[in-house]
Amino acid sequence: MRIDSIFYLVPQSYTMRIARGLCLFYWKLVVASLLFSLFLAGLGSGSVPFFIGTGFAFIFLTPVFHYLSYEVNSPGEYYFYYNLGLSRLVLWVSTLIMSILVGLSIMFL
Amino acid sequence: MSGLHADSIRKQYGDRQVLNDIFLSCKTGEIVGLLGRNGSGKSSLFKIIFGTLSADNKFVSVDQRLMPSLFSGRDLIKYLPQDSFLPAHIKIKYLISCFCGKAARGLVMADPLIQPHLEKQAAQLSGGEKRLIEILLLVHSEAKYLLLDEPFNGLSPLQITAVKTIIQKHAAVKGFVITDHDYRNVLDIASRIVLMDQGNTRVIKDLRELIQFGYLPKSSLDLYAGGETNL
Repeated sequence: MRIDSIFYLVPQSYTMRIARGLCLFYWKLVVASLLFSLFLAGLGSGSVPFFIGTGFAFIFLTPVFHYLSYEVNSPGEYYFYYNLGLSRLVLWVSTLIMSILVGLSIMFL
Repeated sequence: MSGLHADSIRKQYGDRQVLNDIFLSCKTGEIVGLLGRNGSGKSSLFKIIFGTLSADNKFVSVDQRLMPSLFSGRDLIKYLPQDSFLPAHIKIKYLISCFCGKAARGLVMADPLIQPHLEKQAAQLSGGEKRLIEILLLVHSEAKYLLLDEPFNGLSPLQITAVKTIIQKHAAVKGFVITDHDYRNVLDIASRIVLMDQGNTRVIKDLRELIQFGYLPKSSLDLYAGGETNL
């Protein structure tokens, strides 16, 4: 089951639709960032504990993937989220918060 | 003062005053055709009304409610940009669930224009198919006012006819502001025409005025039998 299909089952309200929009926004960021973080942590596992390395890499890579995916590669996609009421600032702030929360969670696994 | 009102909109790029105290209004039931040459500021005006572009001065309200930001107008105004906005790697059926309420979602998914594409990702669709889906998503959203920037761009004649029918059908409960260089299709469905010229808006009552203000060539008059449209 894809992560976005979970939100497809959630009751319909405007807030939930915004939550679903955020989920779609972060889906490709989280997958790419997590895979790359695992790869980097695997490379450095001799010197840094695996989960610490993964979480640390995730915190820094997620904003980088946000920048590359949405600012460089497909800035037009922002309008999909603008139409849901999510501004660029909101998306950037939530990227930073999400990356820190998820990254710290991974570090303390 | 019901309806969408944009007033006193000013925007300057460097030394160039693109929008000079612009006024634009739209009520539900209206299709306002916004025409203007390249660089006249049509897209800038739409982005300012929508809330994604800052203006030097602006006043935007919907049904007497001020719209100072993108978030305040999230359930009232939606905007179709010139380029495709669909996230490339998400299935169309999931995108529909972000835009439409439960009732509208069923309608959109049953629409014969969308049904063949529900399981596809936007990246697998042609430019015309993407445009059509974007328009249907916006039209079936809860927004009362839609700003459509070049909705006919990339559409086949059959798709254009379908889009015009959809817009006219939904104009009973929504207000549309449409701009497109395919002015004939805009003229076909518009209940009112506004021309953007030298940073100002002019209400057009007769097709001949579009020629007078240098938007249309003189030869275009023959196509509309002496300037008679549904204006």
